[in-house]
Amino acid sequence: SVSDRLGPVSGSDVDKVLNKQRLQDLVREVDPNEQLDEDVEELLLQIADDFIENVVTSSCLLAKHRRSSTLDVKDVQLTLEKNWNMWIPGFGVEERP
Amino acid sequence: GTEIRSCKDSNFLFTGPLERRIKQIAAHHGLNEVSPDVVALVSHGTEERIKNLVERLGIIAEHRLENVKN
Repeated sequence: SVSDRLGPVSGSDVDKVLNKQRLQDLVREVDPNEQLDEDVEELLLQIADDFIENVVTSSCLLAKHRRSSTLDVKDVQLTLEKNWNMWIPGFGVEERP
Repeated sequence: GTEIRSCKDSNFLFTGPLERRIKQIAAHHGLNEVSPDVVALVSHGTEERIKNLVERLGIIAEHRLENVKN
């Protein structure tokens, strides 16, 4: 699976959270016949960046709201569920909010 | 410092850079700690988001090709 790939950390990739290689691996996983234009790849990398920024910022606001100084898993889970309709199991919070 | 990983990275996103980005945003909001699992969770969420978009793009592209054929 994509998640088992090695993480190439070389030169310009040092500050990137995602590169085209991993994106292409994911695309192949979804549909082996699907190919992305280069500008679509660029757009998806940008969307990933924006998503992270958005989710982490909203999660930080929730952490602050409960007067914590720690960004916790439950803050991110609540953000993903309420803002993105996403539930990712296996992160220690048993009951769904 | 820069984290160089030669071991298997179990996340979709590169853990080192992602962790730095999350901590940077958290610090900006005055949060000085980030729970360890937060990095993996954000990575999973981003994978879901991109996967979902790629699936929909595939359907749209197919539809467009069908229109060309007809």
